[in-house]
Amino acid sequence: MKLGTLFKDALHALFSRAATEPYPNPQPNETERLRGRLMWAPEGCTGCNLCVKDCPANAIDLFVLDKKAKQFVMRYDVGRCTFCGQCMQSCRFECWHAANDDWSLAGTTVDGFTYYYGEEDDVERVLAEPVEEHPVKV
Amino acid sequence: MTPSTDRKRFTVPIGPQHPALKEPGHFAFDVDGEIVQSASVRLGYAHRGIEKATESRTWVQNLYLLERICGICSHIHATAYCLGVEKLAEVEVPPRAQAIRSLVAELERIHSHLLWLGVAAHEAGFDTLFMYSWRDRETVMDILEALTGNRVHYSANVLGGVKYDVDDKQAATIREGLDFLEERTLHYLEVVTTDGLFLQRTRGIGVMNRDEAEQSGVIGPTGRASGVHRDVRIDSPYTAYAEHPILPVYESTGDLLARFIVRLREQLASFEYIRMLLDHLPNSPLTTRMPRRVKEGEAISRVEAPRGELFYFIKSNGGDMPERIHVRTPTLCNIASVAQLVIGQHLADVPMILVGIDPCFSCNDRTSVISQDGQRDLWTWDRLRQYGINHYGTHYSKDIHR
Repeated sequence: MKLGTLFKDALHALFSRAATEPYPNPQPNETERLRGRLMWAPEGCTGCNLCVKDCPANAIDLFVLDKKAKQFVMRYDVGRCTFCGQCMQSCRFECWHAANDDWSLAGTTVDGFTYYYGEEDDVERVLAEPVEEHPVKV
Repeated sequence: MTPSTDRKRFTVPIGPQHPALKEPGHFAFDVDGEIVQSASVRLGYAHRGIEKATESRTWVQNLYLLERICGICSHIHATAYCLGVEKLAEVEVPPRAQAIRSLVAELERIHSHLLWLGVAAHEAGFDTLFMYSWRDRETVMDILEALTGNRVHYSANVLGGVKYDVDDKQAATIREGLDFLEERTLHYLEVVTTDGLFLQRTRGIGVMNRDEAEQSGVIGPTGRASGVHRDVRIDSPYTAYAEHPILPVYESTGDLLARFIVRLREQLASFEYIRMLLDHLPNSPLTTRMPRRVKEGEAISRVEAPRGELFYFIKSNGGDMPERIHVRTPTLCNIASVAQLVIGQHLADVPMILVGIDPCFSCNDRTSVISQDGQRDLWTWDRLRQYGINHYGTHYSKDIHR
């Protein structure tokens, strides 16, 4: 039967660095595999739509402008994304990757959570057209 | 809650808000002075309709929905689901993927048990232990993040395998972390078994012998602390446990102290197991081809979650979405024992006894509708939602104002 079994730990902690890390400055070091904001490169896309079908949060939408000419625009809602990485798994052409240095994604307003990926002209074309909101599945 | 008519007795309601833990659950304890005479448990405050929601999502989407049933044992939920679906689809998962599934599951067990140790110590008023165990838990969280990219919902599983491989660099990081954690776990084992003040809160409190444990059907570390030799990893091995068996941990005293010792020794067993797995990782691809439509049929899968046996029932009608998924989490088996364990104990020990089973209320709430006239009745999502609103809005408010 002892008393003060954690006294040594407490004493040691008194003279050691805090266990918590400062945030936001400086930003903590990110790990190699950290899944931050998803990035999409249009080069390999064939418009198969598998990533969109498999997304559990309905966070991504593919706009097919011209399938033969491979003109696609991807809309990505980071607010809905659960960072599960299934889209990266579903895509055989490695169009998706998660940026491990872009993970501080919270915002104070509802704007700025939607990203459009694709060729600049194609994105402008999509944005110019009235876009039907993505249906929210319950 | 029914007001007691007996003058000597008094009913102490605890919950539904914050009954020792930050999850909803209602308990009513009849006390005579400080001693609890009888107790009742009422669940159902955090029903989320996840089982129903699975019926309108594809097999792939459901993996991530079911993973989010629990924030602490997320990987094991996904594993149980994957095992069931792969059984239905008759898909053989490569051995390396099996080993990585076990590896992540054991890392998750370490994180869950360290979290529990902190919560249980906090309930005993031993906040120093709470702080240090949670500080050390960061080590295993960092390992999980390095391995899978996420701290909580690792999403390491995918139907037909796993997403992430373990390379030499990561194996070295894991070993380094485990050495530190092993040293700390042995220290905590010494603390909980020798600290005089803490022993007064745990030794001989909430005792459940083996027969009582068998009768009330407790599972997981709670049962193993009472000498119930039941562990799915050993009784019905899955993933890598068949090829590489894990060392079981049992205690016989069945009090709160035994529940501490079992969980801490389970961590030590997990350290050994992970080291062994890293030494014997088979070479194979990580995934295999998985059909998008799963063959018609029913499957049951059982796994050992950190809290006990986790059970999945999966039914497919041959389409790209499941027809029915039923999940039974370990807390449902263990929670009833609380009502028996607290009888004869001081009211002050009740939170400790409740925490002793490591409950997770939100994971275990289910709805069953029993049709008395034997007619088939279809419940849609909207109807279930409306029922929930009416149930909480009227039923409970009447209860409170009565």
